[in-house]
Amino acid sequence: MSDRHHEGDDAIIDQKITEEIADAGVAGAMAPLTDEAFEASGGLPMRAPQYGGLHWLGRVLVFAVPLAYLLMRVLGVSGLVGDGWSNSGLGLLADAFIIAIAVMGVNLISGYTGQISLGHSAFFAIGAYTGIILTDGRVSTPFFGEDNIWNPGWTIPVAAALCFLVGCVVGLPALRLKGIYLALTTLVFVEAVRSTLKYEKFEDVTGGASGIKGDKYTPPEYVFDFFGIKLPTGLDGRGDLNQWMIYLSLALLLFIMLMVSGIMRSRVGRAMVATRDNELAAEVMGVNLSVIKTVTFGLSGAITGIGGALFGLKLGLVDADVPLFGLFGAITFLVAMVVGGAAQNWGPMVGAVFYVFVNEIARSIGEAPGDYESVFTITLIVLVVVVLIVVARYVMQHADDIRANVSNGAVKAALVVVGSIVVLVAAGVTLLGISDGGKLDGLGGVIFGVLLILFARFAPFGAVGTFRILRSRIVQIVPKPPAASRAAKAAAGSGEHSS
Amino acid sequence: MSLFIQRMFDGLAEGSIYALLALALVVIFRSTGQLNFAQGEIGTLCAFFASTFTLAGWPVWLAFLVAMAIGFVVSALVERVVVRPIEDRNPGAVIVALIGVFLAVNQLTAMFWGVDARSLPSLFPTDADSFIRIGGAAIRIERLGIIGVLIVTVVLLFLLFNKTKIGLAMRAVANNQESSNLVGIRVGNILILGWGLAGAIGALAALMLAPSAGLTGTLMLGPFLLASVAAVLGGLDSPVGAVVGGLLIGLLKAFLIGYVDFLSDMLFPVILVLLLSVLLFRPAGLFGTEKVERV
Repeated sequence: MSDRHHEGDDAIIDQKITEEIADAGVAGAMAPLTDEAFEASGGLPMRAPQYGGLHWLGRVLVFAVPLAYLLMRVLGVSGLVGDGWSNSGLGLLADAFIIAIAVMGVNLISGYTGQISLGHSAFFAIGAYTGIILTDGRVSTPFFGEDNIWNPGWTIPVAAALCFLVGCVVGLPALRLKGIYLALTTLVFVEAVRSTLKYEKFEDVTGGASGIKGDKYTPPEYVFDFFGIKLPTGLDGRGDLNQWMIYLSLALLLFIMLMVSGIMRSRVGRAMVATRDNELAAEVMGVNLSVIKTVTFGLSGAITGIGGALFGLKLGLVDADVPLFGLFGAITFLVAMVVGGAAQNWGPMVGAVFYVFVNEIARSIGEAPGDYESVFTITLIVLVVVVLIVVARYVMQHADDIRANVSNGAVKAALVVVGSIVVLVAAGVTLLGISDGGKLDGLGGVIFGVLLILFARFAPFGAVGTFRILRSRIVQIVPKPPAASRAAKAAAGSGEHSS
Repeated sequence: MSLFIQRMFDGLAEGSIYALLALALVVIFRSTGQLNFAQGEIGTLCAFFASTFTLAGWPVWLAFLVAMAIGFVVSALVERVVVRPIEDRNPGAVIVALIGVFLAVNQLTAMFWGVDARSLPSLFPTDADSFIRIGGAAIRIERLGIIGVLIVTVVLLFLLFNKTKIGLAMRAVANNQESSNLVGIRVGNILILGWGLAGAIGALAALMLAPSAGLTGTLMLGPFLLASVAAVLGGLDSPVGAVVGGLLIGLLKAFLIGYVDFLSDMLFPVILVLLLSVLLFRPAGLFGTEKVERV
């Protein structure tokens, strides 16, 4: 009986995983449907009792420890975990969180609602321009701001609101389209926004082709000042702007994650998932498709716009040729979403951090060819990802084996790991050979391109999704069934299991 | 008047390149229902190969032929290695994977050939005095040659699809893969052939564009976008639509730049409005066949 999905081929297993993770994505750590629960419900799927996961204290610890580590590195508290990061390192971390915010927006429309958008770099650009234009006093705003120059913080909600409006206006016609039609239309939307921003007739506002060089954003002196308990922004003179952007973007990112997880548990969120899984069925069940799609597009545009505003404020200048504002921005967000995990709340953060740091290492290899250490680092990172995918898939397909017969499963899993290490070493050597030529400008891009292909094929739910599947399959083993059911099973199953 | 004719031929020549690329997209869409996001980049890759060959002293026509063959092989490989394993599962995943191919090929060319512009000789004479006078306008032979290449390609494709057995099989697969399989057509091979053919046509488009536009890694970014708009406007399953759409976009661009001064930098906003309005009133494009879905 327990071997029900053991003999299934890839497709069936993957379908099952898809269903499972689709549930897990919205309902949090929901337990997989156990055989007993399945039988008890008379073959109908029902929600299994929640039994798994860590005690809440454990969960807090799991998040608090890395956060504390991060804070110490950012603040530069030396001693326990080493010195603080350099200014450029801090900038990278801020970039990662900002991109993560933008990817949260993409994830809402492409991950949860299933409409592939290549147009979100346009919202990123609109957000960045809004921030710079308002802080630079380029438009007259009669009721707000001294001399039309805004406090940078207040430009963020304005950017969000503007992007929401633009998203709704563009989304209303565009979202009647599906699949490649939508992907293509949103791609044209990016180019349209870019040429509008460059348009010479709007030069007074947008700065035309040369863009705007705004004033440098001066962060507040203290991150907080609570009854005399003060936390200064830039300790020992290392990048106060970057430190401030890290706090600001991390806070906004966590807030947006909370908001999105709330939305996904609400009626609107369920309607979004229903739209993704089967539009027709959703419509029949009373989901107003055009309203849901339009509002989702506007909302996801607003979230990406917040990321854009932060990006513009951090950079202090905007012009329409910034790569993240164009096609490559759209692809960057897609990479981060897919690698982190589509329709996973933690996916964008994981994906964006991965993207920013791997890209930086790849770039530094391009600048200093023959830098074997970083070539090796990047090879290691990429291949660890690949190995994880392979192991995860193996474990998923043989979960029952491993549970029933640990030694047998362990041998096979070990074989897979050893094989992967051989591949890893071989690939590392190959890459070292290439780096002698010193032409590795596009290494980061090639890696991300290949990763996109691999993830689309092998791990459609990205790193976070794969981790969740693994946890639900292996760590949260089937709970002790009630005594009655165990007895019944022993009676029915003793014959079958002898083979 | 002569200026008008000049601009018309400029537009038609540029439109021919979009039409070629759009034809490649349509050939793939008909067989697998996918928009090949990597089509333009595969063309750029082939143009770089052709440039390397001509620098090595090969005659231009030979370099172009070999480059097209490379386009055939690369595109067929993409079908076999990337698209087919995920084909049945999830259309979104295929789009993501094809964007991955786009990124990988784009960056590979940057890696191996650098970012500086290279030159690629044209198949046609490009001297200062090689032009023909039509109605008072001097039309360069290269422009006419590109239009000629489009016509020849269309005629060859028509003959292939309608007069040969392989063409019949390709149409059958485009129509219904399962039934074709049942009557003994090797669907897998036909799909590879279709993708390869599209790769060769896409390479041809890049080889026509590169001599006048200068060969860089971003050669086909704009043209790919315009060509896919052209293919969608004409109807993604209609070769006629691709050619008409491509020429229309080329003419629109030439006349917009020539006559509508205040919109000359606003090509993409105009295209976006055009695309949305056509898709809203004719979701299948101008020449496409309306798809009836059974539920």
